[in-house]
Amino acid sequence: MKKVTCAILGVVSMALLVSCNKGNEKVDEIFKPSLDLETKCQIRVVGDYSNFEALENEFDRFNQYYPNVDLSYEKVDDYTNNLATVLEGNNKPNIFFSYAAWTAGDAKYSTIIPHMEDLSDVSLKMNLKCIRSGLINHDENNKVLMVPVFSRTYGTLVNNNLFKKEGINIPTTWNELLEACASLTEKGYKSPMMGYSLKDSSCLMNTIAYPSFVATLAPNPEALKKANDLDPSAGEYMRDALNKVKQLVDNKAINIEECDKITDNYTKVILRFYEGDVPMMICAGDTVSGTKKREKESEAFINNPFEYSYLPIPLNDKGGYFIDSPSIQFSVNKYCENLDMTNEFMRFLIRTEELNNMATLKRLVTPTNELSFDPVYASFGKIPADRTFSPEALGIKDPLVKQLRIASYKVGRGDLTVDEAVAQYGSL
Amino acid sequence: MKKIWVSIVNVALMVSMIVFVVLYSTFETKATTERQAEHFVNATITMEQVTENYLEGEQRICDVWTHYINSQNMTMEEAVSFIRISHVLPDASAHIVYDDGNFTGLSTKPKQGTADDFAVSYKNIGILDNADWISEIGESINISRAYTNPINGEQSIAFCNYVTLQESGAKKQAILLRVLPVAELKTKWVFPKEEYESADLSIIDSKGDYIIKGQAFKNSNFFEFYKSYNAIDSLAGQELFKKISTTTGSLTMLNSRGEECIIAFTPFNATGEWTLVSMMPMKDLIVTTQNWLLIGVISAALFVLFIFDLIVLRNFNRQLKAAAKEAELASRAKTDFLSAMSHDIRTPMNAIIGLTLIAEKNIDDQKLVSENLRKINLASNHLLTLINDILDISKVESGKLNVSPQTFSIVETVENLMNLSQPMIKEKNIDFSFHISRMDKEYLYADQLRLNQIYINILSNAIKYTEANGSVTVDMKEEESEKEGYVKLTYRVADTGIGMSKEYMQTMYQPFSRQTDSRVNKIQGTGLGLAITKQMVDLMEGTIECESEPGKGTTFTVTLDLPVSDHQRLDMKFDKMDVLIVDDDEVLLETATDTLESLGLVTDQASSGLEALGMIKHCEQTGKNYDIVIIDLKMPDIDGIETIRRIRSEVKSSVPILLISAYSWSDVEQEAKEAGVNGFLSKPLFRSTLYDRISEILGTETKSGEPENDYSDLEGMNILVAEDNDINWEIISTLLSMYGITTERAENGRVCLEKIKSATQGQYSLIFMDIQMPEMNGLDATKAIRALDDPWASSIPIVAMTADAFSENVTECLKAGMNGHLAKPIDIKLVIKVIRKIREESKQ
Repeated sequence: MKKVTCAILGVVSMALLVSCNKGNEKVDEIFKPSLDLETKCQIRVVGDYSNFEALENEFDRFNQYYPNVDLSYEKVDDYTNNLATVLEGNNKPNIFFSYAAWTAGDAKYSTIIPHMEDLSDVSLKMNLKCIRSGLINHDENNKVLMVPVFSRTYGTLVNNNLFKKEGINIPTTWNELLEACASLTEKGYKSPMMGYSLKDSSCLMNTIAYPSFVATLAPNPEALKKANDLDPSAGEYMRDALNKVKQLVDNKAINIEECDKITDNYTKVILRFYEGDVPMMICAGDTVSGTKKREKESEAFINNPFEYSYLPIPLNDKGGYFIDSPSIQFSVNKYCENLDMTNEFMRFLIRTEELNNMATLKRLVTPTNELSFDPVYASFGKIPADRTFSPEALGIKDPLVKQLRIASYKVGRGDLTVDEAVAQYGSL
Repeated sequence: MKKIWVSIVNVALMVSMIVFVVLYSTFETKATTERQAEHFVNATITMEQVTENYLEGEQRICDVWTHYINSQNMTMEEAVSFIRISHVLPDASAHIVYDDGNFTGLSTKPKQGTADDFAVSYKNIGILDNADWISEIGESINISRAYTNPINGEQSIAFCNYVTLQESGAKKQAILLRVLPVAELKTKWVFPKEEYESADLSIIDSKGDYIIKGQAFKNSNFFEFYKSYNAIDSLAGQELFKKISTTTGSLTMLNSRGEECIIAFTPFNATGEWTLVSMMPMKDLIVTTQNWLLIGVISAALFVLFIFDLIVLRNFNRQLKAAAKEAELASRAKTDFLSAMSHDIRTPMNAIIGLTLIAEKNIDDQKLVSENLRKINLASNHLLTLINDILDISKVESGKLNVSPQTFSIVETVENLMNLSQPMIKEKNIDFSFHISRMDKEYLYADQLRLNQIYINILSNAIKYTEANGSVTVDMKEEESEKEGYVKLTYRVADTGIGMSKEYMQTMYQPFSRQTDSRVNKIQGTGLGLAITKQMVDLMEGTIECESEPGKGTTFTVTLDLPVSDHQRLDMKFDKMDVLIVDDDEVLLETATDTLESLGLVTDQASSGLEALGMIKHCEQTGKNYDIVIIDLKMPDIDGIETIRRIRSEVKSSVPILLISAYSWSDVEQEAKEAGVNGFLSKPLFRSTLYDRISEILGTETKSGEPENDYSDLEGMNILVAEDNDINWEIISTLLSMYGITTERAENGRVCLEKIKSATQGQYSLIFMDIQMPEMNGLDATKAIRALDDPWASSIPIVAMTADAFSENVTECLKAGMNGHLAKPIDIKLVIKVIRKIREESKQ
């Protein structure tokens, strides 16, 4: 009896501790203004997005605390080339978009990095814990110079109604995928899997191959180093990923000719999917962000709306991979005017509530730990840790990514065989 | 109308007024808003003109540069040098880039952070990839969208022209960009008026893309911005955007904060495809005319008014209901009363008519006629009482009951009371006693008529509601009053009658109320007596109290403070004499002894006839004789008459003896005289009564104290009767003739006046004057007579004989100069009494 009582008390105590801990986290998440609420100043955010309504919404929310702070977002043309000039200009931006690759040592960005404030500085009281740890990039000095506001992943839009109508289950494994595509082909679907295929950038072949390639490299640091160093021998690590692309094309799961009719990698991809006859549209999460707004622009979808979801592509027997990469990141220009208010805004923004709000509006993957709040991306939150990879955390570099992108594109289009692509690694 | 409907109508009116105020206010606000919107559009048009002028000015500078560069066949370096020289604006710059797809060239200012790097490239900027918007020089304003200046990183706009440059001896097309920072532009490009301080401006192209984007505008495309926060379908969107791109006007939309904003738009004339769009939150635009405080105050006032009205209305309704109920009760009471009156009047009338008819049919049967006439007389008296009560209560009801005070004798009042009550007492064989104590003041100043009514009502009620062989006791006493010149007169009547229930006692003073009792129903009554009595007591500022118990009896006590008259008899004193007073009533013995001794007499008391006989015998033996013996009629053992008889026969005494009684003498008068009585005295024994009677006996010795049946003193009197009614004339003349009095008639006041004028002195002993007569009424006639020169005529006694029987009528008569008042129907005994009184007064 005493044992049972002790056990119950133990469980209750643990539960209380856990709840208290969670309570503390929630307390940390509550924004408490630390500056004069009547402060009047301007904060300018620059980036390469044409539109950033999600951020503008956050401006409005921040204005509820600081009504006299004038916040604006501005697109900088030729962003990567002009940013350094903009940062040195007369009207210095307070916050600017930044990308993990910039910290890889490229001289092009060497004048930008010094402008970045260390957001891990405890005095700034940024709640970086609300962001998935794999998305936080620390430099060699363990500084956090940029924080992700969105993350990017790879997957496929699935027309749920179509699968239901055809009596086919949505595939969850590689074999099921092949079988489903075969069935759909038999039912007259010219290309059960579609996507942008005209250029290697954002092409569907890369979207399929990249998660497999990352999964191959992740457990093998030596292989990763070779691949990053563009060692030709590392081409072998692409083989499995390239084979999957080739197999899908060969099996007529992907019809490149049909895919080539999609003339851009964003709006046209979405509008084609809304035609309603595409079972699976392969695309990155960035493309999914445009789906909501374009539902109103598609006559086909307006006339025949259907339910759809964004799922990981089932590339092995267990399912798909969650490639968890930062999309855009924010850096604070430590030489800007009104730095205190800029950090106050960042402290306000880097919270689960605000980041999730932005992700919802932008329909991108949230960088916070609460991935399940958005039903579109909820399935990625269910993928176990052994199939979740953060390329930036692993140390995957851009040249590697580019090699795979070109290889997969060319294999997919039949310009190279898998063997040729493997052999040409490092020189593609 | 039912209360709920009154409430609904009130609420509806209240709501209607509030709705009207709100609607009117809203209408005014709407109208004001429309005017403000119109002003805002006009301001936007003005801004468009100002902007266009500015842009044209900047474009002209660019055009001038272009003309000069083209005319001078300059190389790029020469052209840039020229512009550097001619450039005056510190924040502006100029770029010239070859139109070769790479868009590289030179800037007038060095790249940010360098001193000599003037190279510039627009390859990745995107504004020149499609340069269709750059027209031939002078055709339009060639302005770029806002872009990032590759030289300094600032958001800028550029005014452009194609220029032709010399390059290695050949001509090469280039693009000249006069670059202005947007920030600088924005500082100047604001609405000038303070009222539009929060307004923001943007310039958009035909696709909605911002050329210049204001702070409040979101997205990179205005139309996308609109769609993001405002629900609109595709077709409606296209129409709306076409309207914005091509016309001048305004609309409202929600901004990113969910605020309603007014959007004013007007196209640029010079650029063709551009539109100036201004935006401002409606809350900053609207000068609200909705005064919620006013509406609130009106609402509250209406509500308070409504509640107040409701309360007043409810109260009014309650009062109306109460009044209606009261009226209903009064109506019912009057209906019941009329029904009762009908019954009560018809009953004696039936007796009068029926008995008269019987008498007529049996006119030869003298005994029957006599009996019928007696019964008719009783019925008539009852009818008279009934009519008097009705008249009195009508006065009470109309609030016209008032008092007419005059000097009167309380002794006469009590005598009158006794006279009136005697028949009933005798008929019911009621044991009646009337005690007075300390009645020093005989003459008082009050409304005798009302006082009589009070006393008679209470006593008659006591007698009426006391069953045969019961007893009624009256006590009257005089006490000192708290008011100076007043005496407190207490009149207490106790009976052993049927009594009253407590429930009835609560309403017994209300008119027309009678106790519900089978015994009561058998007794004639109007239910008005007590009501009248109470009103009269109140009017005389007295109190009336009642104690009663069903089956045991009732006691009424009336207490009145009455003024004492100046006229009092002060000389009532005898030389010392011995008086024996005999009565079984100890109270009477005490009070009578007290009164007799106050007259200077020495009094012995005997409580029975036998004791008195013994005392007289003893006196005879001792040689002491009583000067007067006063004996009560009713005593145990031997009564008063027997006692007198024995005194006369056994003692042989000739002592003057007065017989006293509370009852009528008529039955025993003869027997008492035969027994040897010298005079009669009615109880109660007032001081003056005793004095007068004793004086009378001592002075005349054998003269009878009762003159009722001896009217010889009236014979030979001639009375002028002013009476217009033949029957009344006949009655009075006949009745008076029965007493040996002759009468003459005057048919009205004028005739009466004429007769008096022409009369010889002493022709008339007095005048009985009716009041309401044709030609001249009694009052006027009296006044005229009193105004005559002839002293005899002007002082002739005039007594009103009228049916105007109220006390105010009496007062009117006395004021007119009359000497007395007799109410119709006449009581002949009272008439005779008045005649005698006047005759006595005239002798003096």
